[in-house]
Amino acid sequence: MPIVHLMTDHRRFTDGEAVIEVDGATVGAVITELERRYPGLGEALIHGSSAGVNGEVHSEPEYLAVGPDTDIYFVAPLAGG
Amino acid sequence: MTATENPPTYKWIGTRPIRHDGYDKVTGKARFAADLDLPGQLRGAYLRSPHAHARIVSIDTSAAEAMPGVKSVVTGADFPELAAKNPEHDVSVNVMARDTVLYHGHAVAAVAANTQEAAAAAAAAIVVEYEPLPALFTIDEAMAEGAPLVNETNFTKFVKSDEPSNLGTVTNLERGDVDEAFANADVVIEREFTTASVHQGYIEPHACVVDTGADGKASIWCSSQGHFRVRSSTAEVLGWDVSRIKVTPAEIGGGFGGKTTIYIEPVAVRLSEKAGRPVKIVMSREEVFRATGPAPASKVRARVAANKDGELIALDAWMAYNIGAFGGIAGLIGAMSVASYKFPNLRLEAYSVLTNRPKSAAYRSPSAPHAAFAIESVVDEIAQQLDIDPIELRLKNAAVEGDLTAMGMPHPRIGFIECLEAIRDSEHYRSPVPEGAARGIASGFWFNIGEQSSATVHLNEDGTATVITGSPDIGGSRASMALMAAETLGLDVTRITPLVADTESVGFTDTTEGSRTTFATGMAVVQACRELVDEMRARAATSMGVDLDAVEWVDGEAVAEGQDSMGIPAIAAQAKRTGGPLTATASLNASGAGPSFAVHCCDLEVDEETGHTKVLRYTAAQDAGTAIHPSYVEGQLQGGSVQGIGWALNEEYILNDDGSLDNASFLDYRIPVASDLPMIDTIIVEVPNPSHPYGVRGVGETGIVPPMATLANAISRATGVRLTSLPMSPPNVLRRLNER
Repeated sequence: MPIVHLMTDHRRFTDGEAVIEVDGATVGAVITELERRYPGLGEALIHGSSAGVNGEVHSEPEYLAVGPDTDIYFVAPLAGG
Repeated sequence: MTATENPPTYKWIGTRPIRHDGYDKVTGKARFAADLDLPGQLRGAYLRSPHAHARIVSIDTSAAEAMPGVKSVVTGADFPELAAKNPEHDVSVNVMARDTVLYHGHAVAAVAANTQEAAAAAAAAIVVEYEPLPALFTIDEAMAEGAPLVNETNFTKFVKSDEPSNLGTVTNLERGDVDEAFANADVVIEREFTTASVHQGYIEPHACVVDTGADGKASIWCSSQGHFRVRSSTAEVLGWDVSRIKVTPAEIGGGFGGKTTIYIEPVAVRLSEKAGRPVKIVMSREEVFRATGPAPASKVRARVAANKDGELIALDAWMAYNIGAFGGIAGLIGAMSVASYKFPNLRLEAYSVLTNRPKSAAYRSPSAPHAAFAIESVVDEIAQQLDIDPIELRLKNAAVEGDLTAMGMPHPRIGFIECLEAIRDSEHYRSPVPEGAARGIASGFWFNIGEQSSATVHLNEDGTATVITGSPDIGGSRASMALMAAETLGLDVTRITPLVADTESVGFTDTTEGSRTTFATGMAVVQACRELVDEMRARAATSMGVDLDAVEWVDGEAVAEGQDSMGIPAIAAQAKRTGGPLTATASLNASGAGPSFAVHCCDLEVDEETGHTKVLRYTAAQDAGTAIHPSYVEGQLQGGSVQGIGWALNEEYILNDDGSLDNASFLDYRIPVASDLPMIDTIIVEVPNPSHPYGVRGVGETGIVPPMATLANAISRATGVRLTSLPMSPPNVLRRLNER
């Protein structure tokens, strides 16, 4: 199963758990499952994060395919100057 | 340049052709937004708030409307109310106040008249009755228990709360066991740092010309870093479909993050719509200072623990960013920007804090300079205390591929070590420190981003090409697009014309920000050129009468065994016979932006009688991934360095007690000029980004991160005094020297 890594701010939904295995073939499916298991987390991830997958940061990554051993790092959305 | 890996040999990339817009720029032919005039055009002027926080009781525009030459007047009542959760809500209210003014200079009304003078006089004739409210200007005031609300429509982001708040974001990032690490440390340094609000200081004020037609559509010519964002934000603020707005990007006279948002365009549209005439608005310099976003002020408490051999074992930091009167995420970004050192134990607590000051805006590597000033100063102090060379201490602790950033994600391939080594091995660092001077070192990090870009490449009938993108060129990106196209097509770069098209002539493209354009828009250009090469191979195969698989593309020519090769002009000449015009388009959402590191080195001397700091020599090394056009990479490194030096030594917003800005001109807001500084030497480090076809990382922002600590570290070595507040201006330096 994909392995989800949460920032400290998001761990309040998971009783402090930082690394969670979640089933899903896309980042969006993973977020849906996270919302089912931890109500509120999915919404926080959709509106407040990008996803680091395989060393690359993706913005709005819901349809990005992930494999069974993919590490997904949910990080804050970035812009710049 | 320092190439650290074995890069491919390129024909065009890495060369330095004259930029395609260069002739127009140096001869004065380039057209900036304020250069445009339309027949029947009116001029716009604002009435701005004299209060930092007040309820608007009433606005009487009747006298203004009756004045000679006045054609239209708008107030907040002319704009729709957006829901508080609408992403453009704050932009809308910042563009024009509704029932409350939130900072001194907040727009209250605007007038269009035949002349600038008539518009200004009419704006001054508008009568507004205010009910003053408590105003807060500092982080401490806004975070105090029981503090009044700065903005009743602000809710802390990313948390579920029904209560408005003075906090934009609250962020906690943690790993390891920080308390145990500090308990076991050999050295602990703790300091509190403050920085002032500083403006991006672009030379060209915000300007636009708007023509709203009888068909209900608006054409906007303006100066911005992202004309698609101008279109979408303006449409949202007006309650229009985006299809009613066409935005044409003018040449831009600097932005540095400050032109990633809008201030004047919706107002000009409404004025034009009501008057039935085109309207031009050009901000004065005073308005730019008073009403457009500076970078936040900040307060950072940083505590670092180390072993006696110089291993940094823990960082514990509290950060607060003063983001002005609207929500924002500066504190979150500041915490996330802590990414340079391994720090096995880390605890960051960061806040974005609202105050009754202008809404802060992005400025090169937004939020990172504040954090780096603190952390790089404390790290340097540890090197001083342990008597370790400051570069060696940084090399011992520098993050490499696989090490975790503060946000928990491992770094991809990065070039921090290579930048440190480049400075260590430079002639500058190996030369003796001049007598009476001292040397400082510091580093900086910035993420860089990808986002959406589009590009179209047309092969013209004579074999020349036009490359069209939607990324405003703020740093020489047209030349970079042409070079990447030249490399991919195998076409002489002088036969390529790079253009930036309006919102109706190229696919959607995100704003030029986050050092993304050469990376992401460059990817779109390369992808479009590759598709064009495939099409040219197919056309050549048709002309040759061979299978497509038999045709290879070699240095701009279609080559097939037993056939005369066909160059691009020949293929272009055959286009009508082989299938019609040759053109290709690519659009993408780029991922894989490569983080960029920089290391700076400075020699300076401090006049202990006046407190004046003179920079004698300055060298900036930065990882560009691959330098597409080295001259413009060097320009970015130099520009970032100079702006950072200004931030460090002189620049600051000085507020009066009523929240008005006391130094709203370049006479009193002191930015560096050429005579203040030596030539900034540059070292381009090239650790290619594996996610870009040519290894690009993006270089526009990181250069502003190291200078503040670089100078503070040098001043510490020169005077024995550790300065922790910016700016380190002569009176502030003298005060600290006298406290010794």
